[in-house]
Amino acid sequence: MPSMDAISRNLMLDSLKAYARKNISHDFVREKDQANEFPAGILKDMYDHSILGVHLLMVPEEYGGVSGGTYDIYRICETLAHIDLGIATAVFATFLGTDPLNVGGTEDQKKKWLQRIAKENLMVAYAATEADAGSDLVNLRTRAEHVLKNGALAGYRITGNKQWISNGGVADLYTVLALAPGGPSWFLVERNMEGFVPGKHEDKHGIRLSNTAGLSLDGVYVPKENLIGEVEGRGLLQAQAVFGYTRLMVAAFGLGAGWEAVEQAVRYSQQRIQAGGPLSDKQGYTHKLIVPHAVRLEAARAYIEETANRLDGGEHGLQTEGSIAKYSATEAGNRAAEDAIQALGGYGYTRDFPVEKIKRDIKITCIYEGTSEIMEMTIYRGRWQEHLKTRGRYYADIADRMDALHDRNPNVGARSAGLALRALAAVMEECRLQKLTRHQTVTFKLGRFIALAEQAYVFSEAAAKEKYSESVRFDVQAWQAMARIFARDAALAIAAEGPAMVLGASDGAGGLYSAVNMEEVQAAQKGMTADMDLVAAKLKQTFKAK
Amino acid sequence: MHIAVFVKQVPDTTEVKINMETGTLIRAGVPSIVNPYDHFALQAAMELKKAHGCRVTVISMGPPQARSVVQMGLALGADDGVLLSDMAFAGSDTWATSYALAKSVKKLGKVDLLLAGMQAIDGDTAQTGPGVAQQLGIPQVTFCEKIDVDGKKIIARRLIDGGHEIVEAKAPVLFTMIMPKDYVPRYPSFPDVHASLKKPFHVWSAEDIGAEKRYLGLKGSPTQVARIYPPPLREKAEMTSGTAQDAVEKILAVMRREHFIGE
Amino acid sequence: MINVSKKCIGCNKCVPVCPFAAIQLIDRKAVINEACTLCGACVQVCPVQAIEIAREEASTRDLTGHKGVWVFVELMQTQAGDKHPHKIRPVTFELLSIGRRLADELGEELSAILLTDKNAGFEKELGSYGADKVYLVENPELYEYNTDIFSTAIIALAHRHKPAIMLYGATIMGRDLAPRVASSLYTGLTADCTALAIKDGLLLQSRPAFGGNIMADILSPNSRPQMATVRPNVMKLAEPIYGKVALTVREDIKIDKSLRRVKVLERELSRETGGAKIEEARIIVSGGRGMKTKAGFKQLEELCRLLGGVVGASRGAVDMGLKEKSHQVGQSGTTVSPKLYLAFGISGAVQHIVGMKSSDVIVAVNKDPNAPIFNVAKYGVVGDAHEIAPKLIEALKKK
Repeated sequence: MPSMDAISRNLMLDSLKAYARKNISHDFVREKDQANEFPAGILKDMYDHSILGVHLLMVPEEYGGVSGGTYDIYRICETLAHIDLGIATAVFATFLGTDPLNVGGTEDQKKKWLQRIAKENLMVAYAATEADAGSDLVNLRTRAEHVLKNGALAGYRITGNKQWISNGGVADLYTVLALAPGGPSWFLVERNMEGFVPGKHEDKHGIRLSNTAGLSLDGVYVPKENLIGEVEGRGLLQAQAVFGYTRLMVAAFGLGAGWEAVEQAVRYSQQRIQAGGPLSDKQGYTHKLIVPHAVRLEAARAYIEETANRLDGGEHGLQTEGSIAKYSATEAGNRAAEDAIQALGGYGYTRDFPVEKIKRDIKITCIYEGTSEIMEMTIYRGRWQEHLKTRGRYYADIADRMDALHDRNPNVGARSAGLALRALAAVMEECRLQKLTRHQTVTFKLGRFIALAEQAYVFSEAAAKEKYSESVRFDVQAWQAMARIFARDAALAIAAEGPAMVLGASDGAGGLYSAVNMEEVQAAQKGMTADMDLVAAKLKQTFKAK
Repeated sequence: MHIAVFVKQVPDTTEVKINMETGTLIRAGVPSIVNPYDHFALQAAMELKKAHGCRVTVISMGPPQARSVVQMGLALGADDGVLLSDMAFAGSDTWATSYALAKSVKKLGKVDLLLAGMQAIDGDTAQTGPGVAQQLGIPQVTFCEKIDVDGKKIIARRLIDGGHEIVEAKAPVLFTMIMPKDYVPRYPSFPDVHASLKKPFHVWSAEDIGAEKRYLGLKGSPTQVARIYPPPLREKAEMTSGTAQDAVEKILAVMRREHFIGE
Repeated sequence: MINVSKKCIGCNKCVPVCPFAAIQLIDRKAVINEACTLCGACVQVCPVQAIEIAREEASTRDLTGHKGVWVFVELMQTQAGDKHPHKIRPVTFELLSIGRRLADELGEELSAILLTDKNAGFEKELGSYGADKVYLVENPELYEYNTDIFSTAIIALAHRHKPAIMLYGATIMGRDLAPRVASSLYTGLTADCTALAIKDGLLLQSRPAFGGNIMADILSPNSRPQMATVRPNVMKLAEPIYGKVALTVREDIKIDKSLRRVKVLERELSRETGGAKIEEARIIVSGGRGMKTKAGFKQLEELCRLLGGVVGASRGAVDMGLKEKSHQVGQSGTTVSPKLYLAFGISGAVQHIVGMKSSDVIVAVNKDPNAPIFNVAKYGVVGDAHEIAPKLIEALKKK
């Protein structure tokens, strides 16, 4: 579904924010977090058509929804994450659980179930994970056996156990992955079906407002119409098809929760006076604990938006892009939250301030929907193919584009982004020549380098645009300074660590030292401190102490 | 009965920041919102619609992005939306704005009740509503917190200096609204917003409403902004700290020095 | 129209200052889009004067013959048992005080505009505060304020006598009346002025905008009268010269009954129990969230009794239910300007500060040395308001 117009989207966001301001205070969230309690009333309101109706975003208009696109859902997810990541996860689980239907359901199935989800405000859960099956679903043990009636297939009997299912204990409808005779397939299971028993709510490190539970299915009978797509064996494909999209949602969680932590720190730093002045005026503080995180989060934002717009434009899959977005935004968010505690010092370590909870919550975004390490692998795999297919031109071509951009606009870090991309291409080529990708550590590191270089160029391009997207809360100077900072960091990381990685796994780095062009990368660091000063000042201006 | 509600898009002034060096507003990152008083006026119109089945038209004047506040009105239940948008309106002060709004009401045809917020939080002038009433030659009831329709009579409770009064008026009449204490602003749900896209929405130019350009914009505005600057800061306070007893001594000394108490 | 000339050097200074995000830098040149409201913020920051707002030629209206400063006399109901049913609202005297200065600067007359059903010798008081003349309209239909009737009478007077300047109190009545008059006369009106002066023969009107975040100076060069409303308690009250009586000029204006299109059915005046009204208080002892309890506020009341003041409260304290809303000082409460403002446990949100910053002496007590209240206070005391208040009571009682 393409995204809606900006005005409608922002009216919805405003309504969501106004609802949260009124009903979801820090004290409320803190209490629920300590009690490890699912805020059922809040979710009920959020689904209520006359209050919010968030779940309708995932449902096309013809089935009674409001037809949200990827960009819409990214913005809503980001906003939810600012509020509370547990509540966000509860909403996300319905989105995720609805996905297999949207992607693989037959027309009749969509009509029946999407209409019911929209109209009856069904809370949905997505049940794939098992004790031995996480990102790797080869060992899927839940089985769906044929039930025949008069010799014809009438339905399935599902048996098995699921674990760590978001909304597991509270959903009305479950999309359950099970091994049918024809292969892994998705089934729609209703809560009240015989033999279906949700487990107890897990005691988690974070997102404690999100209900997480195991599911036990003991010969649960579902009619054959509940097999999504009504063809067996398409489950994994259906799951894969939406990864680009679902990972973007988790990326938005990292972005929103990460920014919430940074904002808390920026506001605090203006009030806390130490050694004669507010912390917000001290470089040793801002340039270490605040600015780098704001920069990384905005780089991730630029990448998320680029990917969301491509998906809304009709491109399919974009698994590698979704993975880069998720990996980058969640890792950046997690680090931002960690340093936000540091930035608040002793206060940050107490529960009176929200940052320690954000830190506990945000960790999950580096784990669910594919861990950061699975992301590194996926990113490497996707782009390694491109590198081979184009004989190393893939990143060199983009680097040429960056040089041209730099000539048009020298303020957006395109020069450094180009250096990062060329260094990356050289490192990948050296890995190919020396067959170093037999080392898993090399491939995962390449995944990280790729994510850095791609964000750098996407951020540069975004910062060069005449008009920024609605989500950018900074002016041109600030955003361009952020793009420069990010691109410099990316170039330095790849040019320094790339040859080190190659040398670590081989006898020599060949011409790699000169190919990564360290001299230029170093020269491009000029102006870094002034840019960070500028960003620190803009952050202070944008997030004033309350 | 036909009700027209005027709404304005304003920057959230609680978020507005100021550059102390240049004395200018910093706009980046400041959200635009519907003027809170207009928001209440919209809700008051919806109450009347619920009770009496009125038709409600929501009108705003502003740049194209001000469509947002009109659409919010539609999402909250208004029937039609109008945005007056034209470069000719830019720079209009309250006089020129009232002139344009009055012209748009004339184009709508028969309108019985006109509702607006008592003032907008960016300008705080409270002049546009009465200006429209004067241009249309209809009576006004300003600073209202409640309106009831009783047959042909419209009864309103309004604020006066030092109290309240209950007044009676007949249509057509313009009301400006203040927010009562127990007021909770309502926001549209997602499906409300979605549905609002299908409601009639018009963009009218100066020509569409038959407004003469010489009465619009800077040229048509009697007031001119000569200068914008930051509010003056006071000198830093003379500070003391110490025990509660020290503090008391200090306060007493200050009050003696300033002659509020005797020696 | 707004234009960017070739002089533009693409320095980008104007882009961030635009309150409406209406400027973009395209090909190193500022380009102004349709969001522009011609506010002029960019013109002020442009280092090379490349941005110009072209004002159309001045109105061709004839402004000669407009002379004198007028002040609208606002009457208020008196307490039951008073000799007269009405008295002059104090803001009128503040307006006369500033009006006198303006009139002297211009070398013109200061006149008070008095609309009433029965004049009760008001010209004496008006004269003592500086009025040279009182234009008096006496008519039974003027027994109470009515928008249509009052605005019609004033519009008629303005047409007849052509004042150069006209001032109203920014009270509910003034803010109801003035825009009607301005609309009809097609003249400039500036609301809630905090300062007035004469500049090159014109009325320079200063007022806060954007929730008090910024100040603007406003001129109405091409229309007369130049009109302004002025908030009560902002202008300094002049010392009255008793015995100076204004010349009364009776004006005959026809007022048709049918003009009363809005009728008052009922009026409730809230009478403050126990003491003076907060907007007229000489001393205010105000409390914020830092007072923590209703008992804390009882101490402030005790302090008020000893000092002869009135209790005020911040919005935070009112929201917590520590004090009634009628005592709230600030943007959403009452604007005050006492001689002494004692703030206990008030941090000083903008919303509070705009309502009390014109107090003569502000003494603030707060635990947080960086509380913004200290930016407007003359004297700051870092300490716990909760502890200090009872000790202060003790000390005052000893006296």
